[in-house]
Amino acid sequence: MSSNDPIDLRQDRREWLKISAGALGASLLPLPAVSGEQPQAATPPTKPAASSAQNKPTGRFFTPAQHALVEELSETIIPADSHSGGAKAAKVADYIDQFLGETYDDNQKVLWLEGLRLVDLMSRHYHQKSFADSGPEERSALLQVLSDNDHMTDLPEVRFFIELKRLTVRGYYTSKIGIHDELEYKGNRILEEYVGCDEQGSSS
Amino acid sequence: MTEPDADLTKTYDAVIVGSGAAGGMAAHVLTSHGLQVLLLEAGKKLPIEQELRSMEWPYDNAHRGYLPPESHSLTFNEYTIRNPPYGAGLEKAQHLRSYVGSSDYVKNIVVDERENPYTGTNYAWVRARCLGGKTNIWGRLALRLSDYDFKAKTRDGFGENWPISYGDIAPYYDKVDLYLGIMGVKENLPHLPDGIFQRPQKLNCAEVTLKQGLQKMGRVLTQYRAGVTSEGLKHNKYRSRCYGRGACERKGGCDIHAAFDSPTGLIYPAMDTANLSLRTNAVVREVTIDPQTGQASGVRFIDSQTMKDYTVRAKVVVLAASTLESARLLLVSKSRLHPNGLANSSGQVGHNFCEHLMGPGVTGRAKDLVGKASTLDDGRPGGFYLARFRNLSEKQAKFIRGYGFEGGSGCSMFPSGTDVHGFGASFKEEVRKNQGAYISMGAFGEVLARYENYVDLDPVAKDKWGIPALRFHYKFGDNEHRMAEDMKETAQEMFEAAGFEIVHVRSRVLTEGWSIHELGTARMGNDPKTSVLNQFQQSHDVKNLFVVDGSAFVNASCQNPTWTIMALCWRSCDYLADELRKGNL
Repeated sequence: MSSNDPIDLRQDRREWLKISAGALGASLLPLPAVSGEQPQAATPPTKPAASSAQNKPTGRFFTPAQHALVEELSETIIPADSHSGGAKAAKVADYIDQFLGETYDDNQKVLWLEGLRLVDLMSRHYHQKSFADSGPEERSALLQVLSDNDHMTDLPEVRFFIELKRLTVRGYYTSKIGIHDELEYKGNRILEEYVGCDEQGSSS
Repeated sequence: MTEPDADLTKTYDAVIVGSGAAGGMAAHVLTSHGLQVLLLEAGKKLPIEQELRSMEWPYDNAHRGYLPPESHSLTFNEYTIRNPPYGAGLEKAQHLRSYVGSSDYVKNIVVDERENPYTGTNYAWVRARCLGGKTNIWGRLALRLSDYDFKAKTRDGFGENWPISYGDIAPYYDKVDLYLGIMGVKENLPHLPDGIFQRPQKLNCAEVTLKQGLQKMGRVLTQYRAGVTSEGLKHNKYRSRCYGRGACERKGGCDIHAAFDSPTGLIYPAMDTANLSLRTNAVVREVTIDPQTGQASGVRFIDSQTMKDYTVRAKVVVLAASTLESARLLLVSKSRLHPNGLANSSGQVGHNFCEHLMGPGVTGRAKDLVGKASTLDDGRPGGFYLARFRNLSEKQAKFIRGYGFEGGSGCSMFPSGTDVHGFGASFKEEVRKNQGAYISMGAFGEVLARYENYVDLDPVAKDKWGIPALRFHYKFGDNEHRMAEDMKETAQEMFEAAGFEIVHVRSRVLTEGWSIHELGTARMGNDPKTSVLNQFQQSHDVKNLFVVDGSAFVNASCQNPTWTIMALCWRSCDYLADELRKGNL
């Protein structure tokens, strides 16, 4: 699969949805109590996270396997490079985990669980392996499909990608690594005189 | 600072309802005249420095500076698609806030929407119930109005002129400048009069480029005129000068009070005169009337914590509860002598409701700044203000009145440009390299004061304290939409003239109310048949009743209102004190 070829997401997904969620996806990623392609339109489930509620610190949402997958997904959104660490080093998955653990918004919880499941199904369809077992280029290629089709917001995997990017961006650029290492932010300290621009007129 | 408890057994010279820009100013002026004043605030007295925490790093905050996710702040889509009351369907959120309440630093300052419902047409009504009100979180742009605004009817025939001209209020603008501090640069514009400015901040390079580009078009960009003291105020021990620290663009206030807020700028100094008593958690439900004289006798309020009812007597009642809350108070204060509500023999209370339209704007990129090292730009209270240029010497065919732009450029703690397409290494690099190159501005335009835009009382809905809720009948009209179209076009044209690459042109008009500049619901005028208040914000009907907030405005102009609210209030309270001394009240 090459990211240069346009992928017809709508057509392809018929194929990858055929892969049995029971056989593959569910073993790694439990289905939410309410499934379906448009969880936002569905009646909110009672407790979508109930199936993974055990063996987790309070306020946490993901199972260890889901957490590991979110780490890799967020790192694919904002990777480490020669300039600074990426989302993994900035612990973005912890931030998202806490966010989803605390939100009252059950639709968002459903979207994340459904999104993680669908991304893994996509990975198995395109690369014949889970997202976690894929290499960096395969991971990027997979998210590229969603990014290229990010206007198809009726599809839960697309909405998931948009949310993944939104919360990764928020978690990363509010982290120490994001603010200090990556952006080399200069503010939030006492400043005697604002430097401004050299071409400033005599008015100031 | 002494803080005497309210003594409900005595008759105060004046009781002031509301402690924001207007209420704080009324407290300052009336106590300085030696009057015994009681100030009532519906909300709490918050430990405000602990709320604002202006220098807290996001990673040291449990929710990275955002509203805790068990609460919800209303979004543009919700304001647009849903109808008030906005609490319906969002019961699962622990607290429901207005759109401003999306920040952890503001969450206790703005009201819980469900306790304070309203009905009718879509409106983003932002309310702050705490000592100081919205001045704790205001945008700080401190502009003057001019005779282009006060005498706008003479120019284009629409609406009414104000009963004052610039010459009447100019000395009071000067007093406000000197007492509270303002940063800016003199520009000698007749339509945007200069103030008595403290040392201004500088513009950064993209802003200078825009300024120079605009000069060729005869348009003026000036440093953000911020109601912030850059040199300090010798007469005020509660406020520090601005140290350019903190991320000033962050939603929240200034915890060293270099930016004006009503408690440290006005109320605490007024308490130092020993003439001011304060009672918080006092939700006023009614202005009481002497049945013999028809004059105001005081107010009735509920203690929001104990739910007990109290009455307090005063020689003069001063409403400063905000444009919409003061109108609501007048409307609920019905009596045999005032069957349409208090001060409402004209039928104008709640009408001529106006504000500023927001939304259209532009984001551009200064290509020569791409890839440059990070710079410190966000310790400034603001970037720039681009003064009105429409319908001054020329006449637009499509709309009357005008608009200005607020904008800025440079690096910020949270980078601009994260909404670009894509992800991965190229996305990360693009955000980093462009972080200082973006420049953006958005318009604020005059919404015409029209009789048919109004609020009244909902016959059924009530707030948590049993007070009838406001019902909105308010929509932007044709003039506003044609103006918005022009805003978008001129924004793009000016950025192109400056040589910026256009990143995004915004045409969407934000929900009514978004500017938080609501005005006009008890307008001033010389004719008691067509206005509620005289030129001193004194009720035509009830001589010892004053309404000193934005409700007195005759039109909205396009300049931000806070400085004008305070200058008008100062002038009116000087008059009030004088009339009281003469025995006329």
